Amino acid sequence: MNQLQFQSRERVRARRGWVLPGMLLAALPLSAEVISGRDDESGQSRWEWREAGVSMQLIQRLPDQTRAFFLGRGFMRAEADAIGSTCVFQTIFRNDGSQRLSYDLNDWRVVRHPASSSLLTREYWDARWATEEVSQEARIALRWSLLPTRQSYQPGDYNWGMTSFGLPPGAAFDLSLRVSIGGTPVTATLPGIVCAADR
Amino acid sequence: MYRWSLTLFLLLVTPFVAAQKPGLGLTHLPGRPQAPDFVLHDLDGNSYRLSDHRGSVLIINFWATWCPPCRAEMPSMQRAWEQLQKEGIVMLGIDVGESEDTVLEFTANYTVEFPLLLDQEAQVTGQWPVVGLPTTFVVDTEGRISYRAIGGREWDDPELLDLVRALQR
Repeated sequence: MNQLQFQSRERVRARRGWVLPGMLLAALPLSAEVISGRDDESGQSRWEWREAGVSMQLIQRLPDQTRAFFLGRGFMRAEADAIGSTCVFQTIFRNDGSQRLSYDLNDWRVVRHPASSSLLTREYWDARWATEEVSQEARIALRWSLLPTRQSYQPGDYNWGMTSFGLPPGAAFDLSLRVSIGGTPVTATLPGIVCAADR
Repeated sequence: MYRWSLTLFLLLVTPFVAAQKPGLGLTHLPGRPQAPDFVLHDLDGNSYRLSDHRGSVLIINFWATWCPPCRAEMPSMQRAWEQLQKEGIVMLGIDVGESEDTVLEFTANYTVEFPLLLDQEAQVTGQWPVVGLPTTFVVDTEGRISYRAIGGREWDDPELLDLVRALQR
């Protein structure tokens, strides 16, 4: 083997040495991703956040959809209207990663610069109905159809539930979220989320 | 360098690929807490007491008709039950907070032959470690919660059923 052939093989080996680590970096979910588009099933706008195998989707719900849902579950018209007009999204959390995922909705902020507010959680609605005459059937339906305020998901777990952002139909906001993945706090902002308009 | 890179790539990427499939789909609960006892009725008015099934493995599914993943997993639960009932494994669905009529209407569209119990005031549900629907537990022959699944599963997945069957031995 002459000197030229030897140098050429060394260069090929050196290049191979960088190709696989490059593939590795490309394969690992190193950074968060936010995507938006249209939900195939409902035709409504959706936003999705992904990081380390974990995903959270927000899918718009029309105010009328939400009103109809709760009217069919024991709420009176005014109460169903009140829930339907608080910017409700269908929310899907999924843990396809390899570590435990947990969150507390009380740590999340609904940001409309310069103000910010909290989500309307199960506890908010429980307290609200405490002063109003709402049937038990209706309260139970709302409690269980809302995304749990706190939840932990092991790999392979997922959950659906409604989230209520306390804004009028058509309002836009940024969502500042915080979760814990494998015990490590992770924060992210989903910009430009829009509540479904009241048609 | 090439060999080391390949090894590192496989070691790190394989768990991510495997994680796309929910694995066996059940989370083992350390310490196996005792399952809270209950008495609930099915759509025909028959009474079911959990502790009456001591000695059998049970799959207990908390669900509701309005919940999309609950509906999605129901056919695979039915298929799993068709296999497991012959082996003495019990499957119970506990509907959370809905009326008998609502659940009856659901069964007009979905074939479900295992007992569907009604927890209309969600009192039993509140005693179990359930915060979202569906949540399913596998209870061992001594009445302890061995596994939990949050969200729907393909219940007739052979690997998942093997985990359930192993509790009988």
